Amino acid sequence: MAAGLLGLGARRLLAVAATRGLPVAHVRWESSSSRAVIAPSAVAGKRTPEPTVRWQEDPDPEDENLYEKNPDSHGYDKDPVVDLWNMRVVFFFGFSIVLVFGSTFVAYLPDYRCMGCPREWNGMQEWARREAERLVKYREANGLPIMESNCFDPSKIQLPEDED
Amino acid sequence: MLKIIIPTIMLIPLTWMSKPNMIWINTTTYGLLISLISLSYLNQPNDNTLNSSLMFFSDSLSAPLLALTTWLLPLMLMASQHHLSKEPLTRKKLYISMLILLQLFLIMTFTASELIFFYILFEATLIPTLIIITRWGNQTERLNAGLYFLFYTLMGSLPLLVALLYIHNFMGSLNFLMIQYWIQPLPNSWSNIFLWLACMMAFMVKMPLYGLHLWLPKAHVEAPIAGSMVLAAVLLKLGGYGMMRITTLLNPLTNFMAYPFMMLSLWGMIMTSSICLRQTDLKSLIAYSSVSHMALVIVAVLIQTPWSYMGATALMIAHGLTSSMLFCLANSNYERIHSRTMILARGLQTLLPLMAAWWLLASLTNLALPPTINLIGELFVVMSSFSWSNITIILMGINIIITALYSLYMLITTQRGKYSHHIKNIKPSFTRENALMTLHLLPLLLLSLNPKIILGPIY
Repeated sequence: MAAGLLGLGARRLLAVAATRGLPVAHVRWESSSSRAVIAPSAVAGKRTPEPTVRWQEDPDPEDENLYEKNPDSHGYDKDPVVDLWNMRVVFFFGFSIVLVFGSTFVAYLPDYRCMGCPREWNGMQEWARREAERLVKYREANGLPIMESNCFDPSKIQLPEDED
Repeated sequence: MLKIIIPTIMLIPLTWMSKPNMIWINTTTYGLLISLISLSYLNQPNDNTLNSSLMFFSDSLSAPLLALTTWLLPLMLMASQHHLSKEPLTRKKLYISMLILLQLFLIMTFTASELIFFYILFEATLIPTLIIITRWGNQTERLNAGLYFLFYTLMGSLPLLVALLYIHNFMGSLNFLMIQYWIQPLPNSWSNIFLWLACMMAFMVKMPLYGLHLWLPKAHVEAPIAGSMVLAAVLLKLGGYGMMRITTLLNPLTNFMAYPFMMLSLWGMIMTSSICLRQTDLKSLIAYSSVSHMALVIVAVLIQTPWSYMGATALMIAHGLTSSMLFCLANSNYERIHSRTMILARGLQTLLPLMAAWWLLASLTNLALPPTINLIGELFVVMSSFSWSNITIILMGINIIITALYSLYMLITTQRGKYSHHIKNIKPSFTRENALMTLHLLPLLLLSLNPKIILGPIY
């Protein structure tokens, strides 16, 4: 029996009393047989409020929220006009001019790698491939042989005169 | 070259004389136009260099880095606009002037043809960066960070000055284009070993090499967003660029002297990748990942094979864009919750889905997903290091796995899962932030369509 003092039911009651406070009376009752009076307590149900502590995770009150005054804020400035123009300037010059024109420029850079000496430095490979395909297409269309067996044009070779 | 230098110098009067509500618009506009001009240097017609003048030249190695530097200035300006919005006007203009000055010094460094000129500008880039870190950083540790950054780099580069003066005395000139033809093989003697060390240590500290990397997490974490962006994207590449230039003078001693640094880099890349898995601070994670990627570049430059040089150049450009993008993403978190701790802002995918898309793409490029140029760089370096020594494949393989692990760890921690209950009221993504991420990402993806421009002079 003594062990039941902190039995389950009692524990639950203790827990409830701790969280919700002791059960309170809601109406005033005066006993007819004794002088006991049960009345709603003036401080019943009230617990001391938790002190307001600022936690680190709460939003910093000194932070200005750019969306408050200007719900369409782009994040650049408080003034909506400056903010809008800053956004436009960044997008226009950043994307439309530099990224677009810059990528076009870079994409059309010539095939370098020593254009002067292609065989040593593997230069002009893409050009060579394109030129070969173009010539093959032309020669096949015109019925010419794809390659001639002579490396050099025989009519341009000047041989020394035969000397007996 | 003047067509880039003069407009950059003139950006400074532009910031000081613009109307207060137009400073950001004007500087961003003209910064973007300058980056368009710098793209013209990508037209490298042959194996030789484009010589602009007696003092400046650009070749296939410096032109992409130049384009990266000039592209980054408008991006830095866009990223800084929010955290500077409450500062007084003069301070905003000072900040922008520091950024522009840094950009100017960097442009001149990458295109300098005389090595002492390169050295002077290499040191000059430290000053604006130091001012940006120590003045506009957010935590008290920024003073310590600035000190580490300044003195590590200075300690490394003072021997470089002595070595360059000696080489000038010995060879008669330090014009890089000329001494390429005058170099003689460096015999193996004690004084030449010290000469090699003196030349290389400055760049090793800058890269940074694993044992000398302590300044980097501090500086990256304490710097404001523009400082982090420029540090990660460009200043580290100064080290790689300098190494690639100076190793032409130091053959064949490099074959012998490179071993300790190769060991440090190979081991260091695994160590710093593993440290990334244990980080709670988001910016610190990205900083250590920079060390890991740059260790690959060090390995590549020390091996000195054609493929490794191509991989090093590609990796430098790719890492510049990726790392800068990751810092911008971390900053977008920081501006909302004012903390760099990763787990404080988790589950962001449900709240900010578009930003989650940028996080995903940035993490994927960070772990070198094909067909991005990050993969091209890493793969070339891994293959060339395998041909240098078969055993390095194990270390490189472990590094690639751990890189994937921490990139995904960062992505999953910040984006996936249930959001923490206090971030329900964070502000939605601004157009500015989305534009910033796209401007980082689009060049990266476009380059994967045409990587030959970033493969360097050996391609």
